[in-house]
Amino acid sequence: MDYIFKGFVEAISLLSSGHAETYSAIWVTLQVSSMSIVGSLVIGTPLGFLLGHTTFPGKAPLRVVVDTLLSFPTVVIGLLVYAFLTRRGPLGEFGLLFTLPGIAAGQIILGLPIVVAMTATAVENLDMRLKSTLLSLGAVPRQVLLTTLWEARFSVMLAAMAAYGRIVSEVGISMMVGGNIKWHTRTITTAIALETGKGEFSMGIALGIVLMLIAFAVNLSMCGIRKRVG
Amino acid sequence: MAQDTSKEPLLYRLEDIIQKYGGRAVLGIDSLAIASKSIIGLVGHNGSGKSTLLRILAFLEAPAQGKVFFQGKACCTRQDWVRRKVTLLPQEPYLLKRSVEANVAYGLRVRGEDNRPDKAREVLDMVGLCPEDFVRRSWHELSGGEAQRVALAARLILKPQVLLLDEPTTSLDAESTRRIKEASLAARTHWDTTLVVASHDMAWLESICDKILTLEGGRLTIS
Repeated sequence: MDYIFKGFVEAISLLSSGHAETYSAIWVTLQVSSMSIVGSLVIGTPLGFLLGHTTFPGKAPLRVVVDTLLSFPTVVIGLLVYAFLTRRGPLGEFGLLFTLPGIAAGQIILGLPIVVAMTATAVENLDMRLKSTLLSLGAVPRQVLLTTLWEARFSVMLAAMAAYGRIVSEVGISMMVGGNIKWHTRTITTAIALETGKGEFSMGIALGIVLMLIAFAVNLSMCGIRKRVG
Repeated sequence: MAQDTSKEPLLYRLEDIIQKYGGRAVLGIDSLAIASKSIIGLVGHNGSGKSTLLRILAFLEAPAQGKVFFQGKACCTRQDWVRRKVTLLPQEPYLLKRSVEANVAYGLRVRGEDNRPDKAREVLDMVGLCPEDFVRRSWHELSGGEAQRVALAARLILKPQVLLLDEPTTSLDAESTRRIKEASLAARTHWDTTLVVASHDMAWLESICDKILTLEGGRLTIS
């Protein structure tokens, strides 16, 4: 038990002293997770709107596929993205393997089903009268899309936070696509995995505390938004 | 069949309209003509097809069969220009989750028009809501009658060529009912708006309408 307590004390010391390696992992995590959540929202929100707002043949099976992708294992995504980005892969020429945009590409795939599914559900749950009201007030299809998303804004933000929670805490994609390169692609989660393997609990605990704080902040925001959504 | 004998030019012409929900015919109109600047009353029991007819006239739903001509042109729900000339106030209107002013001015905003706050104040006044008290209120701070009047103001601000009212005064108090009736008629007076009003208030319809149509089981029976 003593080493755990000692680990906590050292973790506080690492954080308060501005330990460069620790803060590098935090900075990399914030950078890559920001890229990933922006990508997931830019692609996923319109797709979620289309899935929730429109009716087309094959919609029900597509919903099943999207819902199944919610539990897509991160190592499988990592494997697929690695296969595409490796030098021999179809996207190898872009040189994205072991880079932050490469990790972000994988994390976007991870966050996308969450954003699509939750946005679609949010749009489906909106009042049936909304669409006809907007059309009757003269909105064109693009304006209907934007206003509908605005009406569902709290639920879409909830989707964003759920996706961010999954993205920031994943380890499989960051490890496989990023390569866990010190000062470069080492994220909080890959650093924790590495340092724990080395028996360096203090840095692992320090990064764990930061990760928990991020998760806490995200959850706190979700609670606030849930209250507003009702 | 309901032909129009007015001297005003024809605004709507409906031909061989059939509407079906789930394979069941809910509306069947062989022919209907509505003149510009007229006030048309629509009566009938619940489920007789009044709301369906209004939604077709508002170009919010397309009939399963038949054609709707507006100003002589065959029109459909995909044409934005025609939907911007016609507006429908449903029986239970939906307000956007924003302030009263933003709700009232929404139609102008999507048209890219300026001077929206002043215009919103004008129409709020028209429906008997004090602009100073209401512009900043949120959508959830309104009573049923106030929400109905805000929804009507959101239509009146557009100075529509056609205003379709679907039982606009049902379950409202006397004051809200009076204000909605007055404001609807003011649209006709100020902007020559054509009104089509579905209502069970026969006394009101008889006092204002150029023509009253009766729907029974989705069919026009009396004109």
